[in-house]
Amino acid sequence: MRRWLALLALALLAAGCGQKDDRTRLVIQRFFGACQAEYGAVTDPGQAEGECGIITAMINQFEQANPDLRVVENTVFWPGYDQLTAQLAANGAPDLVTMHSSAIPDYEARGLLEPLDELLAAVGIHPDQFTEAARAGVTVDGHIMGLPIDVWAPLWHVNMNLFQQAGLVEDGKPVLPTSTEQFHAHAAQFRERTGKPYFIQVTSKDFAGPMRLFYAWMMQQGAPPFRDARHANFDSPEARRALEFMTELYRRGHSARNLDYAGAVSAFLKGEGGILVDGTWMVGQFDAAAKDATSPLYQGYAVRPFPFLFQGRQVSLVDGHNWVMPRNPRRTEAQREAAQRFLAYFAANDFQWARTGHFPAYRAIIDSPEWQSLPHREDIAIITRIGEPLPRFVRRQSPIEFIVGEEAAAAFTGVKPVERALADMQRRANEILQSF
Amino acid sequence: MSTPAFQRPPRLGVVLVVVAAIMMLTPMLWVLILSFKDNAALMADTSSAFHPPWTLANFRNILGEGQVFTWLGNSVIVSLSMTAGVLVLSSLAGYAFARLDFPGRRLLFVLVLLGLAIPEQAVIIGRHQMFSAVSMHNTYTALVLPGLSMPFGVFLMTQYFRAMPKELDEAARLDGASRLTIFWRILLPLSIPAQATLGIFTFLHAWNDYWWPLISATDKEMLTLTVGIAATQMNFAQAEGLGFLMAQAVFAGLPTLLVYLVFQKYIVRAVAGAAGQ
Repeated sequence: MRRWLALLALALLAAGCGQKDDRTRLVIQRFFGACQAEYGAVTDPGQAEGECGIITAMINQFEQANPDLRVVENTVFWPGYDQLTAQLAANGAPDLVTMHSSAIPDYEARGLLEPLDELLAAVGIHPDQFTEAARAGVTVDGHIMGLPIDVWAPLWHVNMNLFQQAGLVEDGKPVLPTSTEQFHAHAAQFRERTGKPYFIQVTSKDFAGPMRLFYAWMMQQGAPPFRDARHANFDSPEARRALEFMTELYRRGHSARNLDYAGAVSAFLKGEGGILVDGTWMVGQFDAAAKDATSPLYQGYAVRPFPFLFQGRQVSLVDGHNWVMPRNPRRTEAQREAAQRFLAYFAANDFQWARTGHFPAYRAIIDSPEWQSLPHREDIAIITRIGEPLPRFVRRQSPIEFIVGEEAAAAFTGVKPVERALADMQRRANEILQSF
Repeated sequence: MSTPAFQRPPRLGVVLVVVAAIMMLTPMLWVLILSFKDNAALMADTSSAFHPPWTLANFRNILGEGQVFTWLGNSVIVSLSMTAGVLVLSSLAGYAFARLDFPGRRLLFVLVLLGLAIPEQAVIIGRHQMFSAVSMHNTYTALVLPGLSMPFGVFLMTQYFRAMPKELDEAARLDGASRLTIFWRILLPLSIPAQATLGIFTFLHAWNDYWWPLISATDKEMLTLTVGIAATQMNFAQAEGLGFLMAQAVFAGLPTLLVYLVFQKYIVRAVAGAAGQ
């Protein structure tokens, strides 16, 4: 026992005698997971793959190039906003945090974020360098509230082998519908020739998928999902048309049923349907499957933006990831300067991040041959021009998105009539919008 | 005195118990099997879990995360401290409520019991603000202190002490024992089964706690295991990292399994005792 106590005392003494670290402490908080086992020692982002791998390698590279800084990387469970809110309440927010474009208005409205206009301008980063979609995602009342690192969008991932079998391929490209009537016709033809559903979508547990479809098809009709900061637009004829279409495609059996997110991805990989609605982040995974001879997607994968089924605007719903600087009265000038250095580094290396499948936030990268030569990028690049986030005046997008997805799913799976689902959607969304 | 003859349990009862055991074990076995499979294979088809190759890569990735043993250590410190604190406070309070006569005893006991009816959600914002005001977040104290107020523990110990015959105290008092001696030397040793039950319950509660550590411990060096391993998950872990996710569940669950294996005698006795009362 005495020996153990002596050892413990020695250990404490050794810990206490450790050299004091005088470097500036930069706390970076992010989601995207942790992968220290695989990428903890990688300092070349070009050698890393996937969101987690690339961001880990980028932070490692930055830390290596800035030995005067002590970079503390806090990884949080997605999306990390509970922790951030708690940190803000305790006046202990990190220096930089990853935040979705859709969450920025909420934090900005409560004065919890620092505008970055001057900080970014000082290192040569100007809003006109961003793509339209990226700029829209971080701009609130004329101020830049974050450094955009990407733009992402829901896409149509296509199983070309099944499309070929269904006779829906021309010149090696998928033939996608251009109207709701054509959608039903294609889906029926697909079912008849392959025996499988045309459409794979998430129908249970996760409501992001139905929400994105509903918003996209409203916006394509030229109807904004929100009239103003306090009123949703879900009682409009366009909302009704969008939800009736979603309900009809489900009722006619054109959609796979009873799938959560993991189930939907798995069903697509197993070749159990023609189209999967999922985000930019899956392009790399499906492209890898298309190179695997044992996969049903072997040499048969394509990806496209949402087709324009309603004759209105050519628009695609987008969101994005950004670095923001939460307010912290304890932040020193040295820490602010360190954060500025990190933002400059990330902006200069955004191409590496764009390899994740997300769209780059900078026009120069979109126009670069190296980005355009990445797999499938030219097929979806149009989104960087037509992508549109929800209006910045909608402060509480995240809880409203959940409501919209939940009510939409309730309608098309037959739990509620369309009319009632829309009325509930409108009432519940307005309650949140008017709670400010 | 004759020993009661061994009674064979009714066949239907055995069948029901076996069925219930299978139903309880199946999800756990499913988690275990998935944890040994490659993520990409599971993303394509979860039924691949039943076929080789299996891998230890998911567990290697957990252990390769530099902070995991720090988080494990934090969880051990927090859980053991909370368990010890709850046992001390609940025993003392239980003894006082059961054996001592003091003004306001009934009212105080009712107030303590009211704590059982107040959910954590109702107090967590106020609690967070209190710890913020004294700059105590990201400390072991902040992680342990809120868990020490456990009305269930006070209630359990009060009931246990009440059930003990008062003649024990009277006999000891005739021998000149003080109240503290009676508590320490006589009643406390007799309450070991209840202490064991409460200790195990508290340890498991502290070990599995997620919400308070999530918002109080935000420095990565101060995370507990539950929060730390959740933070290592990718955004779409349920699709892209299912094997890793399940390995995390197994890894986080191992210490509680260990607690059960070590203390199963007490757990079984406590459950049997509760059923018999």
